[in-house]
Amino acid sequence: MTKKKKSIISDQRFIVLLVIIALSAIFSIMSKEFRQYTTLLSMLDFSYYDLLMAIGVTFPLITGGVDLSIGTGMVCYALIAGTMVRSHGWPVAAAMVLCLVLGIAIGALNGVLIGIMNLPPFLATLCTCMITRGAGSLCSATPWPGLTQDGGWFHTIFKITVGTGRSASRYPIGFLWMIILVLLMEFVLNHTKFGRYTIAIGSNKEAAALSGINVKFYHVMVYVVCGLFVGLAAIAYAAVTPTVQPGTGAGLEMDAIGGVFVGGVAATGGYGSVIGTFVGIFVIMLLKTGLPYVGLQANWQQIITGLVLIIAVLIDIIKEKKKAAM
Amino acid sequence: MNFKKVVALSICAAMVAGMSASTVMAADLPDQFKDLKANEAYEFPMMVKSFQSTYWDAAQEGMKKAAEELGVTYTAQGPNSESDIADQVNMVNTAIASNPAGLGLAACDTSSVLDALKDCADKGIPVVTFDTGIADAPEGSIACEVCTDNAQAGSVAAENMYNAIKDVVANADGQVVIGEVNQDATAQNIQQRGGGFIDKMIELLQADGKTVAVAGNEFYVNAAKGADATEADADVVIQVAVPAQTTVELCSNEAQAILSKENCIAIFGSNQTAAEGVLAANANLNVLGSDAANGDVIGVGFDAGSIIKAAVQDGTFLGAVTQSPLMMGYYAIYALTAAANGQELEDVPTDGYWYDSTNMDDEEIAPNLYD
Repeated sequence: MTKKKKSIISDQRFIVLLVIIALSAIFSIMSKEFRQYTTLLSMLDFSYYDLLMAIGVTFPLITGGVDLSIGTGMVCYALIAGTMVRSHGWPVAAAMVLCLVLGIAIGALNGVLIGIMNLPPFLATLCTCMITRGAGSLCSATPWPGLTQDGGWFHTIFKITVGTGRSASRYPIGFLWMIILVLLMEFVLNHTKFGRYTIAIGSNKEAAALSGINVKFYHVMVYVVCGLFVGLAAIAYAAVTPTVQPGTGAGLEMDAIGGVFVGGVAATGGYGSVIGTFVGIFVIMLLKTGLPYVGLQANWQQIITGLVLIIAVLIDIIKEKKKAAM
Repeated sequence: MNFKKVVALSICAAMVAGMSASTVMAADLPDQFKDLKANEAYEFPMMVKSFQSTYWDAAQEGMKKAAEELGVTYTAQGPNSESDIADQVNMVNTAIASNPAGLGLAACDTSSVLDALKDCADKGIPVVTFDTGIADAPEGSIACEVCTDNAQAGSVAAENMYNAIKDVVANADGQVVIGEVNQDATAQNIQQRGGGFIDKMIELLQADGKTVAVAGNEFYVNAAKGADATEADADVVIQVAVPAQTTVELCSNEAQAILSKENCIAIFGSNQTAAEGVLAANANLNVLGSDAANGDVIGVGFDAGSIIKAAVQDGTFLGAVTQSPLMMGYYAIYALTAAANGQELEDVPTDGYWYDSTNMDDEEIAPNLYD
């Protein structure tokens, strides 16, 4: 049974990988501008925060919950930390730590509301979504230091730039960190107590509680881990967004959650994989980056992205049905 | 005699000094505000969109100057952020309840203040909208609108861009592309600004004997006036992109798709988000610069903010167009005073001003360049 389930999941990941290759091929054939290293660089630049949010939210989604506060949360932490750098002279390193602390704090709040006080995840995180959006709006539009400014070193976490101007070479080192994080969290999900209990809560919470798992604690921890990754995403967001604007961020969570579903996390919870999330996000990113190159207008971009999501969720449902029939 | 001369000279000098001090503002004062005096010491509530950006600080600077000149007072109020629509509506309602002599309003959301405007019309409180016009306001509720002439502001961007790329266009072997990134195709100010740029650019190109096509977003393609060629055989294609959502990321994707065309020679980002999107795309591509003859793509921005200001300063952007929050605040107080006196008013359009690295610190420009 376990073996069977595993092969199906890896199937979905394989399908998604094929989709990525197919999309890349289509875009490359249709637009010679798309076939440039700089296109890949830009796509990677903007993928890091989406991916980090997605890795985080994979865990609540596997428990059958959701975290709607990731988008506004990310922008809120980037705003508050950026304000500390700009207006209060904090070093950038301290601001980065602040992002993580805020992420963990809001994650813990979500966890307590959902895991201990039994609020529905949709409702609880909708509230924290509003709270973070409002809290972020207390700050003014905030640019973090640019690459060449004091404190701009944090950009090199994601991209190393050698040389200046047109002859500069750029290396997307962030991609390496992402692969390491994905593999690490895939390991955590499948080979640690925390990961297995996350899946157990998603499969059947009552059974998990009856078998002696401290469901409340692990349920809270799921949201704390999610919050930590949103904190990381805030740093990645600040590195690519010239000016972090208050009042923005709503809607960003949908790209991340969409990517997770494309990657094969069950819409009902109970199984999923971080590697799946990784490939799923790149489907979303490819669509976002590639569609403008083939001259498709905004409305069509949204329609196509929506259709891809429907197909992904349909595959999941068909899989479930097959499993039930077995 | 000497003494008389000295006195006469010093009086003259004082007069000249006084004149020059007031020329900056008084020179452009519309006819309807000339010789305006307040009939009473009015007090006006002024609703700004927020106190977040220095844009609104500049607006208040203008209000303060006008209030001092006219002997009226004002209180600026605004919510925490421009998206706190409900808060602003509450503030507006509270202000109306105290029956002010007039109300200045920069609405965060134009549709949510319609009821309040109706109340004002019923109570006979004159309303002057500034920064943002309200197209579907109840009949007779708005005494005067003080807003940027966005079509003019867009055309200023086109004129300055064209000066920089004129020779490249004239000497081009094949087709060249001029890009425009608009954050949406729905807000009136962006529509007018984007359209103003396109129409002026078409006019300038055709005056030099070039054929032009407009391609991309349907709204802007259909709104463009005078395009005389198809995309396939035009000398110049104005490529208009609108992202699916108004984020810097998606603006950047659109900008990158245009900038990576080999024959792209210039690009315009029509507001702060779009212009920052262009800059974000350029962070990897590195094609923008101020020397068109040398192959640089000429970038032009809109509005200010520290990122765009830095790009203008270091030559990544040729320049940008700023609105004049200072003048909008200034005229809004004049319009309110005139309306409270019972005068009938015409709308007051304010100009967009070109700025580049040479004039950023000028005293007419600097106060409008918020961070």
